[in-house]
Amino acid sequence: MKRSLRQISAWPVAVKVPLVVAVLMVAVSAVLSNQILVRLSQTQQRHLEQLASAYLDGLSSSLVPYVLRDGIWEIFDQLDRSRERYAGLSAVYTIVAGQDGKILAASDPHEFPSQEAVPQALIERFVTAGDLALAEDEGRAFVRRPLSYQDRPIGAIYAEIDIHALLAERRQVLLTLIVTNGALTLIFAGFGYLAVRRMVRPIDILAEHLERGRGGRIEPVPRGQIGPKNSEFGRLFRRYNALVRALSERETLAARLAEEERMGSLGRLASGMAHEINNPLGGMFNAIDTMERHNDDPMVRHSSLQILKRGLVGIRDVVRATLVTYKASGESTRLRAQDLDDLRALIQPDVGRRRLALAWRNELPDVVAPAAGPVRQAVLNLLLNACAASPVGGQVCLVAAVRDGALVIEIADQGPGIPQEVASIMNATEVDPPPPTCGTGLGAWMVNRLVRQIGGAVHATPLPAGGTLVRIAVSVEPNKGLRHVA
Amino acid sequence: MSGRMAPGTAASSSTRANLSHRRRFLASLAGVGSLALLPGKLQADGQEVRFGLTPVFLSSDLELLTRLKAYLTASVGRPVELVMRRTYQEITALLLSGYLDAAWICGYPFIQYQDRLSLVAVPIWRGQPLYQSYLIVDRERPIDDVSDMRGDIHAFSDPDSNSGYLVTQALLTAAGEVPSTYFRKTFFTYSHRDVVRAVASGLAASGSVDGYVWEVMSEIEPELTSMTRIVRKSEWLGFPPIACAKALRGKPTTERIAQALLTMGDDPAGRQVLDILRLDGFTPGDDGLFRGIAQKYDQVRRLG
Repeated sequence: MKRSLRQISAWPVAVKVPLVVAVLMVAVSAVLSNQILVRLSQTQQRHLEQLASAYLDGLSSSLVPYVLRDGIWEIFDQLDRSRERYAGLSAVYTIVAGQDGKILAASDPHEFPSQEAVPQALIERFVTAGDLALAEDEGRAFVRRPLSYQDRPIGAIYAEIDIHALLAERRQVLLTLIVTNGALTLIFAGFGYLAVRRMVRPIDILAEHLERGRGGRIEPVPRGQIGPKNSEFGRLFRRYNALVRALSERETLAARLAEEERMGSLGRLASGMAHEINNPLGGMFNAIDTMERHNDDPMVRHSSLQILKRGLVGIRDVVRATLVTYKASGESTRLRAQDLDDLRALIQPDVGRRRLALAWRNELPDVVAPAAGPVRQAVLNLLLNACAASPVGGQVCLVAAVRDGALVIEIADQGPGIPQEVASIMNATEVDPPPPTCGTGLGAWMVNRLVRQIGGAVHATPLPAGGTLVRIAVSVEPNKGLRHVA
Repeated sequence: MSGRMAPGTAASSSTRANLSHRRRFLASLAGVGSLALLPGKLQADGQEVRFGLTPVFLSSDLELLTRLKAYLTASVGRPVELVMRRTYQEITALLLSGYLDAAWICGYPFIQYQDRLSLVAVPIWRGQPLYQSYLIVDRERPIDDVSDMRGDIHAFSDPDSNSGYLVTQALLTAAGEVPSTYFRKTFFTYSHRDVVRAVASGLAASGSVDGYVWEVMSEIEPELTSMTRIVRKSEWLGFPPIACAKALRGKPTTERIAQALLTMGDDPAGRQVLDILRLDGFTPGDDGLFRGIAQKYDQVRRLG
């Protein structure tokens, strides 16, 4: 039942409204039809009573003298002639009985012979019904009229009336009502459907644009479809278009801020990289000088070449990690365990400079489903922040694993703890959170945006002993939300 | 042709207004048999001839009445008023009083008042001035004798009708019975045609009817007579005659009426009337024609 109601509530308004109109019309027509039939039935009964009364009045006034003197023939003659006078009444038979309950004469003497008692079944019909008893299932009405003379009862007239014509008329009216109301209901429902379809067309347009917006292509309603300024939908479309413009501007701003943040990260990385490259460069130049001075000594040459080689290998690792991190940032290549390990090289300058202990536990399988670019950027950002936040000689931890169908990466530091306002930006759950308006929290907003972009969630929690734990969770099953794997 | 009498339909309203009190008076006199005192006094003033008709006559339709009136008016040479009443008794009383110049009555009242009435003419039906009384029942009723009618509801036409009452009464009287006890219930329809209707409808189980009327009805309303069956036919009896008060016998008006009737077959208009009535013509007749009726009357008076 509830399911059916839910299904019905999901029907389009253009169907539901005409349907409601049709149901209401059917209900109204049913009530009206019932009223009409009740009134018709009452009118017919009144008409029947009047006709029967006129028939019996006419008969009784002419029959009383004959009943008084037992005039069998005259009574029969009156009844026989009254058939033509009251042809509209459809009397099946009429019986005139004396005070002793015996039939004086009937319109059909074969069926009701004179001098016989009035059938008990006929008398019983009037026990509870007064002088007019209706038997609609038989298509008959039974009427009775006591006869009196000088206030003394002298007999009675009984008549059975065929009311099939009245019942047929009632059925005909009912059929006409059903057909007419049915046709009108269908016509009005059809018009209602078309009218409502036309009225809710702007809603369809709006719904279509919102649906497109859900897919990332939010667009304003074209000017030709907006309609007049003073109409409800005209105002609605204009507000929607204003919203679309605001969202576009915010999107542009967010993209610019993300780019700036990315460039900021890159600057810091480039600085570290330069430092990382510069360190071996001094040793390498020394090795080259030594080789130039002692080129004949094989031992010196060999050790100098070794120094050069180690230096170049270190430079190559840094350059490769950087290339991998930033070159494929826009692509949706799947994450490899090595991608995370590469990040160690990128944060090594910060780690070394602040003499941090890096606890690194990468338990990821070779390849996991989430896109590599956003994950690497987010983790690198978090690692750089963790290094910056941790005190000199402190510790930074990274744990990466797949648990319950989700890629889980946790980064902890021993810093002073993430400020509340930054944590709320990091932990924001709305679809497209606005970028922070104050100076702080841009990195947290960026990480949140990157993780949510791939359908994941990020959560920063202050640790009891000081420091911050940031947890990233991304489903490793395509097209499944985190709820199913958490 | 309905065959039912329409009382008073041909009487002019002015005449009715003038004579209404006299009719009531005469009707009361008829009941005590003192009408012999009045002949001539109340007769028409000579300007208009009054001709009475009883229900034995097939007063079927206006066409017949119109043609009969026209023929009599032309033949008698004076305006003729057709006077009709519901019962034989009413017409007989008017005839005895002299209010009517002549009337077509039944043989039974003719015999009852034979000393005060004279024959004017007797109709000839199927070649003779005779007819029969029939006892009829429902077509489906399997009886062959009047003895099977005991306990019936029986329809008579008129207490002053020979064929519609006297014949059956005499038959029962001869068997030591009387209608009121022999039959469970009796009633009078005051029309032979209505006796046929009563039996055909089932209101009466049996009925006494004029044979001439039944036979003519079987030609013009076979659907009605076919629902009845003749159980007994009486002997031939004198046909209902046209009579006048004895005091008017031989008067010019009476003679002209008799002549008109006797020569009806010679006149095209009269022939049309006879055709409608299914009669051959009229004969002067004589009182002997009604001897059979007289015998039944005596029998009833003696034994009843």
